[in-house]
Amino acid sequence: MSATFEFSTVALHPGEQTARVADPACGGFVSFEGWVREENEGQRVTGLEYEAYVDLAVREGQRIVAEAKARFGVRQVRCVHRVGALRLGELAVWVGVASPHRAEAFAACRYVIDEVKHRVPIWKKEHYASGDSGWVNCERCAQPSSAGDDGGQHAHEHRHEHRHRHEHEHPHDRGPVAPAVTAALPASDYGRQTLLPEVGSVGQARLRAARVLVVGAGGLGVPVLSYLAGAGIGVLGVMDHDTLSPSNLHRQTMYALADAGQSKALLATRHLRALNPDVDVRPYVQRATAASLGPLLVDYDVVVDCSDNFATTFAVHDAARAAGVDAVYASIYQYEGQLQVVRGRGAGSCLRCVWESVTPDGVVGNCAQSGVLGPVPGVLGSLQAMEILKLLLDLPGGLRDEVLLVDLLSLETRRIRAPRHAACTPACIRPGTPARQPDVERHFADLSAVLRAGLVLVDIREPEEIAASPSPVAALSLPMARLLDDPTLLPPDRDALLLCSRGIRSLGTATALRERGHARVWSLAGGLEAQRSAV
Amino acid sequence: MTDIRVQYYAILREQAGIGRETVTTTAMSAAALYAELAERHGFTLPASLMKVAINGEFAAWSAPLSAGDEVVFIPPVAGG
Repeated sequence: MSATFEFSTVALHPGEQTARVADPACGGFVSFEGWVREENEGQRVTGLEYEAYVDLAVREGQRIVAEAKARFGVRQVRCVHRVGALRLGELAVWVGVASPHRAEAFAACRYVIDEVKHRVPIWKKEHYASGDSGWVNCERCAQPSSAGDDGGQHAHEHRHEHRHRHEHEHPHDRGPVAPAVTAALPASDYGRQTLLPEVGSVGQARLRAARVLVVGAGGLGVPVLSYLAGAGIGVLGVMDHDTLSPSNLHRQTMYALADAGQSKALLATRHLRALNPDVDVRPYVQRATAASLGPLLVDYDVVVDCSDNFATTFAVHDAARAAGVDAVYASIYQYEGQLQVVRGRGAGSCLRCVWESVTPDGVVGNCAQSGVLGPVPGVLGSLQAMEILKLLLDLPGGLRDEVLLVDLLSLETRRIRAPRHAACTPACIRPGTPARQPDVERHFADLSAVLRAGLVLVDIREPEEIAASPSPVAALSLPMARLLDDPTLLPPDRDALLLCSRGIRSLGTATALRERGHARVWSLAGGLEAQRSAV
Repeated sequence: MTDIRVQYYAILREQAGIGRETVTTTAMSAAALYAELAERHGFTLPASLMKVAINGEFAAWSAPLSAGDEVVFIPPVAGG
């Protein structure tokens, strides 16, 4: 059983190609041939030249034939595409599929030619009878299925007629068998990095054996994922529950405007598989929590925090410490960033040696609240990728027991030494830092019920916010920063329900106070907005 | 009175409108210095949510200050 994609610089002979897929277990054989046609867009064509970006094209082509074999259960799949100069009528692409039964063979053959047309980067330069010539990009030129398409080969060719007039369906031709002179190309090429004496083939094998989970496929995640896929990491996990928004595009350069609304984890997976089919890319369309990460991290060596909120960063930390895996953290604010590398094992310092308790979300802005320039996460994400490669390749100079501060306005970097906290343990269980409380949020359809329930309502918004949009029920005013600075301002021996606009700051503040031992604090789920929309 | 070199990051830089300055102060600890500067620049972030580094190493807020020290105030940042 085999699945092969190749380029050929010399003429293709169908009979010779067919012999390459001969298989006594197969009772059905289907082939497709694309020929150079005499006319395109009303111009007479006298010949053409094909050019391919061979490294990427062969990887993508091999991926397609492997997909066809797996998806349709056929035994032999072969696709050969010409490169170089072709005459009118010459064979440009040949696909052959052999299978025990014909239905799967037809389907797989059709799948291969459609996907090759759609995904493989091949360009053709047409020479016209008028003396003109022009380049036509064949990549991504397949059109979406039109209504009434019966799925047959004829309909397919009709659908593409305006782009692929050089092709005709052609009954299988048993021509004379010629010697095989096809240009088989390597599946991968890491030559530019294996040239480095510190990397070499041994380093490449280490990268190939490595498994890295990236949490967040946004501004930081995009460069991390791109460089790790390019480097040939064996397994690359992509976790992101969110969908692409057009406002992401100035810094998340892997995506296109047309992708808006789609899952970032799935978009990134598609992109990374095309970038390097050698990499086993695993998408996780889910939120990262300590509970969701815990069982997954058993399968990874390094976890990378590319998230945009503190709750996720600490979830990554807690799960990474419990699993004993290395973790690489970065976060950004406007023109600046911070970077920290934590070893899963050993006596080094961890995230909680610097930040003992979970910083509540909402206390400092994220990209959506404070703004950011596109290259800022690009630089910090690239630094993360570099630190990961240093870890995996055992290169010198890696960040260790330090936090790197990067200011991209002044172009200054600072390494701040972060010694291990006396109470730090491998699992980093500290007195006074219990696990996150699941019951911090409380739901009230009617705020007057809060008072009847005996709770003190505490409005943690800023005074100007309260003036612009007062709470419908009397509440004690304690701005978030003041409350966090001095929790004794809360009425003693009473249960307090914190309230803000949307329930984000109140959840963060209540969680932070719980971590510091204040058990009788809750957050109003959804904040005042939920109250208003319920009325 | 001692001269201390101070560096601000993230929301502190934004609120102070400068990235660094040298201040002449009577503050004896990092916490007292921050309280003085918060008053002057209108910082909203409580010290309890931040970190301070003295001469390139994370330090306790109670750490004493000496003339010529370099103090960096580091707020947490979450963007990604």
